Amino acid sequence: MKRKLISVILAAAMTVVSLAGCGSSTSAKASGELATENGESVSKKADKPVTIKFWNGFTGSDGDELVELVDKFNSENKYGINVEMDISASLDEQLASAFAAGDGPDLVLFSSASRFTYGDYLQDISDIFDKTDLKKDDFIEAYTDYCSEGDKLYLMPMEIVGFYLYWNKDLFKAAGLDPEKGPQTWDEYVEYAKKITDADKNVYGSGLCYGYNYQMAHTLQRFGDLAVTKGDDGKWKANFDGNSGYAKFLDTYKSLVDSGDNPLTDDTDSMMTAGQLGMTINGPWLTSGMDTAGINYGIKAIPTGDADKMSSAEVIGMAVTTLASEDAKQACYRFIEWWNSKDDNGECPSEKWSLDFGYPTYLKSVLESDAYKANDKVMSMTNTDTSLRADFIVDSAFPGIGKIISDVIPQMTQPVLFDNKDSGETLTECQKIADTIVGEYNE
Amino acid sequence: MSNTGAVTNTAEWEQKCSHPEYKRIQMKKNALSKTIKYLQSAEGSAYIFIFPSIILLMMFNIIPLLAAFGLSFFDVPITLDSAKFIGIENFKTAFSDARFVNSLKVTAIFTAIEVPVQVIGAMIIAAFISENNLKNKFFRAIYFLPVICSATAIGIMWKMILHSNVGFFTYALSSMGLGRINFFNDTHMAIFTVAFISIWRSFGISAIIYVTAIQNVNGSLYEAAKMDGAGSLRQFIDVTVPSIRPTFWFILMTRFAGSLQIFDIIYMTTNGGPNYTTESTVTYVYSRAFSSGSQMGYASTMSVILFAVIMIVTVIMNKRMNSEDM
Repeated sequence: MKRKLISVILAAAMTVVSLAGCGSSTSAKASGELATENGESVSKKADKPVTIKFWNGFTGSDGDELVELVDKFNSENKYGINVEMDISASLDEQLASAFAAGDGPDLVLFSSASRFTYGDYLQDISDIFDKTDLKKDDFIEAYTDYCSEGDKLYLMPMEIVGFYLYWNKDLFKAAGLDPEKGPQTWDEYVEYAKKITDADKNVYGSGLCYGYNYQMAHTLQRFGDLAVTKGDDGKWKANFDGNSGYAKFLDTYKSLVDSGDNPLTDDTDSMMTAGQLGMTINGPWLTSGMDTAGINYGIKAIPTGDADKMSSAEVIGMAVTTLASEDAKQACYRFIEWWNSKDDNGECPSEKWSLDFGYPTYLKSVLESDAYKANDKVMSMTNTDTSLRADFIVDSAFPGIGKIISDVIPQMTQPVLFDNKDSGETLTECQKIADTIVGEYNE
Repeated sequence: MSNTGAVTNTAEWEQKCSHPEYKRIQMKKNALSKTIKYLQSAEGSAYIFIFPSIILLMMFNIIPLLAAFGLSFFDVPITLDSAKFIGIENFKTAFSDARFVNSLKVTAIFTAIEVPVQVIGAMIIAAFISENNLKNKFFRAIYFLPVICSATAIGIMWKMILHSNVGFFTYALSSMGLGRINFFNDTHMAIFTVAFISIWRSFGISAIIYVTAIQNVNGSLYEAAKMDGAGSLRQFIDVTVPSIRPTFWFILMTRFAGSLQIFDIIYMTTNGGPNYTTESTVTYVYSRAFSSGSQMGYASTMSVILFAVIMIVTVIMNKRMNSEDM
């Protein structure tokens, strides 16, 4: 009887608590009582000391730092929020099976392109600017646009992954080139590659890599712009057939390989870190390997070919899943807010992440900070013109980006390199493949 | 009084016994006691012992297999949250998909290289190390080492050793005047390179199974052969090989099925390149399911086709093996 009575009391207490939570869920800026504009004190939804599940695929040294930062948040945040992180090398497989089973993380960190795969499981987080102290105009618009569909925001940028041109200064010097100045145009790139190549020393001037789809995509985009865009009729259209920029890239790559100025390999990273490549195109992660190997290198934006100026990038961001309750969602917002804000010591995790790993920032306030400006490496990757479009290989709203990168781009480069196929014919073939992909999204 | 009472009790008892509910309970009790008795028997307790394995087999083999069959008739994304029945459309697409057809061809070539070398090579090696002495035990351990290593580690290691420009082995060959061989990026050579790594990785297990079989061959057969003047080679061909035939078939069947499912080594070394010359069926299935398309239905269809191929090959081999036994 006594046990029954306690159960009833507890159940009643839980009901009251849950009803109280629901009733005040419309707005919550901070915990406790908040002052309104006219000075009145209103009761807003309190941040709950909840545990949120945070999944990502950062298995490298970046993962170690992420663990440290998450631990810091767990110990420092005043809301009692606990972020429980799960790092997996096979995040996609893990997410797919978890979502299918109705389980999974509250917060997930992945590429903005993943929103096309897991869109049904992501919440609109555009109200984060109302529910936290984050300022929308502090975020570079091109990157938040990349993570949005219309008015809905699905990811908050966390890391901007662009590709850059790296050159080995010592090899430049040995070839009689200015070691402080990388190539400004693709014609210069080809010219420099020829000068640097030294077959006797197994040194190649150029480091284009057919097996590296992302490198190929970033470079192709500089030559022939976006592979898929929206037509005047509002439908997606592929731009391969007759794309003179793409054809020019394929011919350039092929001639560099045939002349022996570019190795025929699916791994240029090892060669760059071994000091056997004069120039290559890659992401910021290459720098850690080159730093370790003691390579004296320079970084600059990839030369623009026939296409207009761009700042193509892949945006990695944090997304709140539909599995997160209102309280968990608010807790996720607090974590994202902490990540993008300065603490009492003036330290911002986002800025630290940029400087430690060499990723350009997506925050205008960080862009203005002295520490950021003083970092030559990260500044050389940063496009200070924040108005440049960030679309990467396809219009950022095109859901089939993954298929274009993995199914069409290899079909462009490899037949030209290995079967000596004509670049124009290859592009016509690619158009057919791309039309099938695009057609799926026009239905 | 007591007699009357007894009669009354008997009548009540009979009435109770004839009641359908009583009969039902009794039947249940009998069935339960029979089941308990059966489970306590030798045959019944065997089922108890294999019960955990059956559960695991159902969860991780049978149910996913049936699910894959089912999914192959649907257009379904990776998250399985929406499914559209499309009949045999996926099967039609598969046979008109040049990459899938190419992947079947690559898988067949890989199997044709890997299986004979593995099955015959491991048998020859096993013949040399079958005797139980310290040297042979050492070599058995060495040959078995790659079997216990992860495919990821093996893939990375060989990728570095055979790298076209910074690889140790490539450099050594180049120093000997053999030129710089592009093991992973030559469209004609890459499949052989991948097959070599796969053989290197798994031939240890085949060799150990052969060693066990060779050690079980009746010693008197060798003595008789010796007395007839047979040398070591003749003994191997006429005594060892016929005696270990069941083991040979077992290894042949398992290697065949394994080769047709090759994935990990390819994924770690060439990822299907160059120009799709090493893209096996499972590699392509993986790319369709996880890498880009998230087409779980189509990926399941290709898996079902591969399953059918493996099943046909295995059944044929099994029949051949059984006919030899008879």
